Amino acid sequence: MDLQDDAEFARRSFLRLLGGTLGASCLPLNWSEIARAAGEAATDISSGPRATKFLTAEEAADAEAICAQIIPTDSTPGAREVGVLFFLDRALVSFYAHQALTFRSGLAEFQGACRKWRPQANSFSALTSAQQIEFLRTVDQTPFFASMRLLTVIGMFSMPAYGGNRDGLGWKLLGFEDLHAFQPPFGHYDRDYPGFASELPKPT
Amino acid sequence: MSLRHYSNSETVDFVIVGSGPAGGVIARELSQGGFSVVLFEQGPRLTPADFEHDEFKYWFLGGITNDPAKNPQSFRSDVASKAAPLTLRPALWYARTVGGSSLHYTANYWRFHELDFNERSVLGPIAGTGFEDWPISYAELEPYYTKVDWEIGVSGLAGASPFDPPRTKPYPMPPLPVKSSGVLFERGARKLGLHPFPAPLVINSQPYRGRPACVHCGFCHGFACEVMAKASTLTTMIPEAEATGKCEVRSESYVVRIDTNERGRATGVAYFDRNRRELFQKARAVVVSANGAESPRLLLMSANARYPQGLSNSSGLVGKYLMFNVSSRAQGVFEHELNEYKSVQATRILHDFYQSDPKRGFYGGGALDARIGPQPIIWAQRLADYGPSWGSAYKQRLAAFARTMLVAGHGTSLPVATNSVSLDPDLKDPWGMPAIRATYKDHPDDLANARFLQDRAAEVLDAAGALSVEKAPITEQNFSMHLLGTCRMGNDPATSVVDKYHRSHDIANLFVCDGSSLVTSGRGQPTMTIQALAFRAAHYIGNFARRGEV
Repeated sequence: MDLQDDAEFARRSFLRLLGGTLGASCLPLNWSEIARAAGEAATDISSGPRATKFLTAEEAADAEAICAQIIPTDSTPGAREVGVLFFLDRALVSFYAHQALTFRSGLAEFQGACRKWRPQANSFSALTSAQQIEFLRTVDQTPFFASMRLLTVIGMFSMPAYGGNRDGLGWKLLGFEDLHAFQPPFGHYDRDYPGFASELPKPT
Repeated sequence: MSLRHYSNSETVDFVIVGSGPAGGVIARELSQGGFSVVLFEQGPRLTPADFEHDEFKYWFLGGITNDPAKNPQSFRSDVASKAAPLTLRPALWYARTVGGSSLHYTANYWRFHELDFNERSVLGPIAGTGFEDWPISYAELEPYYTKVDWEIGVSGLAGASPFDPPRTKPYPMPPLPVKSSGVLFERGARKLGLHPFPAPLVINSQPYRGRPACVHCGFCHGFACEVMAKASTLTTMIPEAEATGKCEVRSESYVVRIDTNERGRATGVAYFDRNRRELFQKARAVVVSANGAESPRLLLMSANARYPQGLSNSSGLVGKYLMFNVSSRAQGVFEHELNEYKSVQATRILHDFYQSDPKRGFYGGGALDARIGPQPIIWAQRLADYGPSWGSAYKQRLAAFARTMLVAGHGTSLPVATNSVSLDPDLKDPWGMPAIRATYKDHPDDLANARFLQDRAAEVLDAAGALSVEKAPITEQNFSMHLLGTCRMGNDPATSVVDKYHRSHDIANLFVCDGSSLVTSGRGQPTMTIQALAFRAAHYIGNFARRGEV
């Protein structure tokens, strides 16, 4: 057992994202189509100014505010600076396009619930950060939030070519270096390793 | 070098179905033995230059693996219920390309131990299972393990584990350099009186057989190696087979049926080429090495008037006794950086818990290893298993990535007859062929073993000085790339599908050799043993053919 556990995890996460959780109207693409669409989106992102293609300005503001609460900005960049919104928006016109309208209605439902929660607020993004957190605690078990969370993670840590992880800032947060080769020592604890043979176990 | 091509009108000595870990080895051995061979592969032929460090593509968008639109499957955990079609990701996962899953494995290459082959005799039967001895012993397989070590290339340190089975030669290469996780694992395990040792890996620690040494890029687990340091049959056995001038690799060629004649012998294979033309390749003998999911499927799809239950299925066991292996893990965060995303997954493992111990109250044993597991996306997503999944607290945990390691447990799965690969009665693929239906439910002992190994993993992390130790939830499996046991070997035709030489009990010129051949699951990491079996099978199959006994 090996790859297994991780692959199962990726599968479950992605099933939740692409599958029924945002709605029953799932029209699954096959992987090669998804990969091609993602590749086209990646090509597209490499040129031109950053503007959303699918999300309206209001939707974009709320979606970005949600991402920014999932991975907030503090002394280091968060989802906002990393450009997760642009990954999400590109996803909705490429590999995730079949779920775009379901996503839109999920977001509308979220916005409606937010207005009900705080009638005087114009939008989720207009709430104070403390209010946003308070509201999210009431919805963080919903399928819509789970999808936003996974998309935020992918937008943070996938290759910048997919539209997020701007300048590798997501990887920097983790301490992940995007290099094609490394040399030992790899970390603190293998620096002064005395060698295995010097400590061979006694025969049992 | 001009590549050999055989026409359909020629009768070749051998058709081999599947170019993965087993098929690649058998093609090389038989073509070097002077036989004409056509090696079939469903998927395309890629080159190392095609392989990328793209976690999103390889783990979420399918990458080089089987595509559920082209290769649909269904799954159920309860044998009485109807299986649900899987349209987004298959339950039984494998790389669908020349080289097969030897391209994307993690490359852990320990040998099975002597007890894996005769454990049933030692422990007695286990009710409700097909727990059985193998028809061969470790000693019979040892020379072929050594061939894998030397002719493919395994790095390791002989004699480093007091639990290792006997070996006739040391490893051809020293172990890969230890990582921080390996040092900490060694420290913690020794404090507990355990016996950690350098992980044997089928990855070059120095240049070997024309391939370079590992550059420690960190993308082994689920990725294909672009520098060829991690061995795959695509970069080892298959070029050597082609160099004989006797072996043709026929990629994007999907074998859907093995035909038999009036004497009940296999005559060759029907397949779709890349343009969806149905063609037939004649052969004197057929070797099925399509993996533990596709091999039983092909035998079942080949049912005909003479063999209405499918080929080699007089026992009724084709597709049964599917085994996944179990796994579990604990995560530890340390004071200083480990940077586990660099280099190979595991550099230290231990086999102290390999043996099943009745005192534990369940059947099962396993190994522990030190690793990071996945790359950033899955790691970050998986953090939700352990605690806060969003907000400042989550972000703080993300920032501990470089200071985190896992200890993973790998263990046994019992052979249960209802765990199986069968043909879905309704679901078809785009060629009109029946889809794989997987049925699987972990035996309670397997889950108990997973929990036991996880507890030991947490103890090692604690003894190593982790600031915090957390255990991931253990749930029933509904997904695997360890596809084992579905055409098991055995001496008795009533209780096995192939004999000890991988020859069908029913059809003398039909052989099956891959993960499906395994009688028990081992303790995880089956590919080393699959390749040893393939070297051994090829040795005997070649001898049979030379003696006119095929």
